[in-house]
Amino acid sequence: MSGNGRVTKGPFSGRRPDQIVEALLSWIASLVLFFSTVYVVLKVDVLWIVFGIAAICLYVLPLVTIRNPFRVLPWEMTLLLAAPLLLHISAGARSMNDRFAWWNDLTSLAFALALSTIGFLLTVELEMYTSVKMNRPFAVLFVIMFTLGASGFWEVGEYINDELFGSSYLKSNYDAMTTLLWTSIGGILMGLFYALYLKVMPKKRLFTFGFIHLYEVPKWKKG
Amino acid sequence: MEERLKLASRVMQAGMLGVALAGLLTSNFIWMPAAMISLFISVIPAILRRDLGLVLPVELNFWIALALFLHVIGGFSGFYDSVPGWDHLTHAMSSSLVAALGFVFVVSVDKYVESIFLPRPFLAFFIIMFTMAIGVIWELMEFANDQLTGSRLQYDLDDTMVDLMFDSLAGFIMGIAGAYYLTHTAQEHFVESLKVERAKKKWGILKKWARSKGGK
Repeated sequence: MSGNGRVTKGPFSGRRPDQIVEALLSWIASLVLFFSTVYVVLKVDVLWIVFGIAAICLYVLPLVTIRNPFRVLPWEMTLLLAAPLLLHISAGARSMNDRFAWWNDLTSLAFALALSTIGFLLTVELEMYTSVKMNRPFAVLFVIMFTLGASGFWEVGEYINDELFGSSYLKSNYDAMTTLLWTSIGGILMGLFYALYLKVMPKKRLFTFGFIHLYEVPKWKKG
Repeated sequence: MEERLKLASRVMQAGMLGVALAGLLTSNFIWMPAAMISLFISVIPAILRRDLGLVLPVELNFWIALALFLHVIGGFSGFYDSVPGWDHLTHAMSSSLVAALGFVFVVSVDKYVESIFLPRPFLAFFIIMFTMAIGVIWELMEFANDQLTGSRLQYDLDDTMVDLMFDSLAGFIMGIAGAYYLTHTAQEHFVESLKVERAKKKWGILKKWARSKGGK
């Protein structure tokens, strides 16, 4: 191929097709995340701005440091990050809320999945960029505790927002508690799920995403 | 100072026993189980020390006894209803206790598990999140209790949210104080004073003993 000068080296050359598809999906999901965040910034929706910017930082950080656009976060995780933002800003979700009683629970669950994804990414990226070292059981504990704690702070934030600026995030105690209930269930499930996820994921894919170091602590018990 | 704290813990334990007995004598049984359970929990550090040789700091034992004592006395004397803010006081007490136990947990894990290393800012962050998480679980338990038995542990949204705020306040104070404490005392020294190594050894002996008993 090379030598006659006909085919120039493009950004996609030398990549497996599945790699290209995965990276493309991830980029599209990140664009969704980015534009939803821009939307909440324009709306000055403080809590969601914090959420969106945190998610974007976690997405961009490895991209900037590794400088390889194909080693991005898995698309499924990026979608999970974008989902609650999309649900929050779309008018469709609001009309669904009125139509179905369980729609609210679904959005809470989506929020829990996103929070636990942030927790998981924190365990990964703290290991990459700071001296923090965790083993898998502790990482699972951290994801669960992070999700529960963050949802607690979130509810308090919504409450303060309601009190100070007259918004109406929280309608009743029942409302707040069901949200917390769903985020707890989601957090605990996702904490356990991510342990499984790392176990099941093919090694090649793990390496592409740079999750490999969490995978390689076989002797976590002895110390 | 240590002796005084120990004495105060004993006095408060006697108070909890007193509440249980008074409940029995006046056939006011509602707060008896809580008093008995609290008394038992406050004795756990002593049991750990006797059987495993695990030494928790005296201040922590005192704090455990104080939080439980305030809860039991407040419930028995109706302070939860009559004294404004009693609920929040006990919440702040118990969540700072949770934060302290979280602190002991992460510092020990950091020292004794080789594949874990937790620098100080992360310790503080973890303690804050941990305390809030336990606070959320606590509120969920209250909520479940209310839904299932029709009790009224949670008054309204304001009450729940102020509870959570006190939880997070306690978490922040303990997280930052813990990190500060570790910059001024060697972490090694703190963990070694807990005598976890000895406790692990004793635990091994206990397990072996239990196995030999079971074998026969």
